[in-house]
Amino acid sequence: MSTPRAQKPLELILARNLLTNLSTPAFLVDDEAAVVFYNEAAAAMLGRSFEDAGRMTADQWTASFGPFDSDGTPIEVDRIAVTEAIRDGRPAHGSFSIRAANGELAEVEASAFPIVTSENGSSGAMILFWPRANGGPSK
Amino acid sequence: VKVRVWGARGSVPAPGPEMNRYGGNTSCVQVTLASGEELILDAGTGIRTLGLELTGRKRIHILLTHLHLDHIQGLMFFPPCFRSDCEITIWGPSSPEASLEDRIARYISAPLSPVEVRELPCSVSFRDTPASEWSLGGATIRSEAVTHRGPTLGYRITDGDTVLAYIPDHEPALGPPLADLEPEWISGFDLARNADLLIHDCQYSDAEYPDHVGWGHSGLGDTLTFGRRVGARRLGLFHHDPLHADEFLDELCAEARARWQELGGDATELAMGMEGAELEVYPAVQAVHA
Repeated sequence: MSTPRAQKPLELILARNLLTNLSTPAFLVDDEAAVVFYNEAAAAMLGRSFEDAGRMTADQWTASFGPFDSDGTPIEVDRIAVTEAIRDGRPAHGSFSIRAANGELAEVEASAFPIVTSENGSSGAMILFWPRANGGPSK
Repeated sequence: VKVRVWGARGSVPAPGPEMNRYGGNTSCVQVTLASGEELILDAGTGIRTLGLELTGRKRIHILLTHLHLDHIQGLMFFPPCFRSDCEITIWGPSSPEASLEDRIARYISAPLSPVEVRELPCSVSFRDTPASEWSLGGATIRSEAVTHRGPTLGYRITDGDTVLAYIPDHEPALGPPLADLEPEWISGFDLARNADLLIHDCQYSDAEYPDHVGWGHSGLGDTLTFGRRVGARRLGLFHHDPLHADEFLDELCAEARARWQELGGDATELAMGMEGAELEVYPAVQAVHA
């Protein structure tokens, strides 16, 4: 019987190291679509640090932050870009709104990149966010 | 479990009179298990002299952490490779690009080598390390990818109650400070957790490390912090920079012992990797300092 893991796969550790140093808001999710880290730029966008939030399951972070469509209707987890990235092992891109800790909605574009290794298969995904100023496309 | 160091140098062999005590051969460690079976960790140039002593051995397991030259260079000069009665199994990291044999054959082939792998008189097989634990010589072996440049493994060898961890090329501090990270985010944590002996990369002094961030190796402070975070009882500093002569390493050792003690470790349980050094590894119970 194998010893249970106490440690994240190396590719997630390396991805966290990268995201930590980016000024682009970014999430790191595991293979169950739980948010296991987001960087300081994302914390500024959401109004809440990851240290305060901690690990969040897909249901928890969608309840806290959305996403919402243009009508303000919550988008189902199965339909958002990150879920597609993990499920299909392909990059995905989408536009939607998220809700910050102060309740304000912000329009963003998001790109999700699956993290796949030959040893572990899908380990999760990195999601980078670009806020859309005045609702227009990001430059 | 007995450990003997045949090469503790990193990057490139560093012979010379000023290197005589710590030695100039690159990474190679011989592990003798309680069953009497032996494992060889890495095949740097130190494996050549080890091979001279293995005259009676017919079955040999070599566990490679990765395929950088300082970890495989000795393979072509390993005397058992040239004995037809010898069966050698080489374990190493998998790759989606090419088999382990094909990757090693890039070195053991023309024009870099006068012989090809297929011409070796011994019976040699190449095995990707399994994703799960496996058994060799009565011990349980576990390998995991660790932070270094290129696909690189560390090993955890559990023989009865004794645990040896071997992570000779490792830069776990590349990212957030190690002292603040949760264990689950520390590269190599599972491998080294509560090890009775952790043999770990310490290529640089703290003064040298800032000029080498991202090169895949550790400075002294990070090695000590990693050792304490994982709860290693004994720590062997390994993979010495080829520029570090005996005198420099003596000073590094004195500093390391003092700082290890300040961190709560036992100064007498910190040792420098030194060619020819033999260590008996024995079990003890120690809580994780996480």
